Amino acid sequence: MTNLERRDFIKKTGLLSGGLLLGHGLASTLAAAAPTANKLKIGIIGCGDRGKGLLKVLQELPDQFEVVALCDELPFRLRDAQQMAPARKLKTYADYRALLDAPTVEAVIIAVPLYLHYAVAKAALLAGKQVYLEKTMTYDSQQAAELVALARQRPGQTLQVGHQYRSSPLYYRVKEMIAQGYLGKVTQIDCRWDRNGSWRRPVPEPGLERKINWRMYREYSGGLVAELLSHQLDFIHWAFDTSPDEIFGTGGIDYYKDGRETYDNVQVMVRYAREGMVGSFGATCGNARDGYLFKLKGTKGTISLLIDEGIYYPEKETLKQYGTVDGVTGATKIVWDKNGGIPITTGPGPLKDGSWYALRDFHRAVSEKKLPDSNVFTGARVACAVHLANQAIYNHTIEKWRPEFSFS
Amino acid sequence: MGGAPLCPYQLRGYAQGTTYSITYYAPDSVVTKADVDRQLAEIDHSLSLYEPGSLINQFNASPKGLVADPHLKRVVAKALRVYQETDGLFDATVEPLVAAWGFGMSRAATTPTPAAIQAILTSVGSDKLGLRGDSLVKTVPALHLDLNGIAQGYTVDVLATLLERKRIRNYLVELGGEIRVRGRKWPSGELMRIGIERPDTNALNAPVMQQVLRLAAGGVTTSGNYRQFHQTGTRRNAHLINPKTGYPFQNELISATVVAPDALTADAYDNALMGMGLAHALVFLRQHADLQAYLIYQRPDGTTAETATPGFQQLLQIQP
Repeated sequence: MTNLERRDFIKKTGLLSGGLLLGHGLASTLAAAAPTANKLKIGIIGCGDRGKGLLKVLQELPDQFEVVALCDELPFRLRDAQQMAPARKLKTYADYRALLDAPTVEAVIIAVPLYLHYAVAKAALLAGKQVYLEKTMTYDSQQAAELVALARQRPGQTLQVGHQYRSSPLYYRVKEMIAQGYLGKVTQIDCRWDRNGSWRRPVPEPGLERKINWRMYREYSGGLVAELLSHQLDFIHWAFDTSPDEIFGTGGIDYYKDGRETYDNVQVMVRYAREGMVGSFGATCGNARDGYLFKLKGTKGTISLLIDEGIYYPEKETLKQYGTVDGVTGATKIVWDKNGGIPITTGPGPLKDGSWYALRDFHRAVSEKKLPDSNVFTGARVACAVHLANQAIYNHTIEKWRPEFSFS
Repeated sequence: MGGAPLCPYQLRGYAQGTTYSITYYAPDSVVTKADVDRQLAEIDHSLSLYEPGSLINQFNASPKGLVADPHLKRVVAKALRVYQETDGLFDATVEPLVAAWGFGMSRAATTPTPAAIQAILTSVGSDKLGLRGDSLVKTVPALHLDLNGIAQGYTVDVLATLLERKRIRNYLVELGGEIRVRGRKWPSGELMRIGIERPDTNALNAPVMQQVLRLAAGGVTTSGNYRQFHQTGTRRNAHLINPKTGYPFQNELISATVVAPDALTADAYDNALMGMGLAHALVFLRQHADLQAYLIYQRPDGTTAETATPGFQQLLQIQP
């Protein structure tokens, strides 16, 4: 018998042998949390589409959460949300401050318009609540800094930011693959989040226009950058442990000239000088062909990501290493797709919605008093990037990152 | 060979829930994808648990058994021989236990109770299975035969025979990561190179090289515990279940790659080696000169290590 040396072994291991599955360490961190006795009594502030979406996910996590309170200033929304939740023991509120006064509520989900994020999150922290705050964390960098300062003073409380896509095992795996060198040196990141539609919600009576379609108005919303591209900006920060140095932007109200103020067509370019990368982030309301597109391009390969699907495309030179063999033996072999890509897998069974993993992480962070991966610091960095991007777009300026934005 | 120059021909397709790939060198495309798919359909008709009405499904539904076809007879004969050789660690009747542990065709993610396991064990065991003339018989009606663990190895052997019948002597047949190989590549005259897939570890192994073996003729198969497992607390329940105890094997082996004269043999023993654990597997391999193996295992400190029989070492091509 011969024992192969570990070092030899690493040299000889490769793409094929590496497989694209979760490493064991990662698998265990992502493994289902044991059912715990400490069910978190949670209230939802803001019962629009996002609040109701999270309510549905909470109901899929009955061992972790019990929804005890709902809040929305619009009665019809409250009614709709109430119908989704089992009636008993559920209290409803029109004013979030009243909900925060309720001692039974231990945690809150905040899914209100962006301009209110800071005020509601601050009040929730001061009321002693655990906070899951929707993205983008705050409207601007000033509020981001203030929320960081407040959270620092309250170490016993969790503040998680809802960049939920990267809570999925798929995005963890992609982060791991980047660290393992599958992409080589990454130079370009292409992101899109397009739709062909006005991005408006139906308004039951004209007086509610600004409340319901708050995304159309600059004083309430950061537009497409805050609502969509922030997720991809956040992932790049997290996966590469970096932040932008310069941000260029442009855009306009190019198709929906319907009185909106935020742009229906934007493009942001980000320079990551330390990493030697250029990121291009775009969103339009006038074409749906690409939909969600997220490509990380490196010297060894490309990863193409959807919300719940990822494919790795090795570059030609990387591919040659595959080509040197005539066959591969393995317990569960890698199956190539028709375009020469390898689907990135994360274990048996289909992936759940990113929010499911995000809320499970939130519960774990609260019960173990651990900083969640999407926390007040990462949330603040993204809020600053979004704020700079919007300034670049609206003011025709090149915005520079400032050292005080690098919260940690 | 002499005569006309040889050209490489490639056939690819889907079968048995996975992909296959065949490369052969011949003067002309004497074996077509249609020939291969016909042969695969014939095997499915006999051995596939996924095909309703297949011979194996009929056998499982029958109280006593049935008249077997040549495929079923050959594979069961091998399964029974390996069952004897491995003291019951390889057992083609283990499926009900695998299903109870949630790794079967229908998933149940629960841990079965000891009572449930004991109940299932009464209808598990290849001693309750036999070949009598043309018939495949069972002594317990609930006995459930599952040849999925070795059918792929058998299939690449049958496809190799299909090629050989057309006088092809240089080929590599792969299905689901199980391989049967013979001869050399043309025009280079090199032996075929076979990469070994291995589990991902936490090491920062940049994609540079892979473990490669070169083999003139034989079967190469791999069994692994690294893709399918359930996590129950800190304990990983792997999908390989000990047919004697009814509980998952808990040992240090992560994967076993076996080289044997044919793929059916390799495929039967790779499973059994996984069940043995490292020390027992190494002793077993010393007593079986026709088997060469490469074993990846976990050390007590959690790091990954590997070992290979001397014969296997000779097949490994060390790359610069």
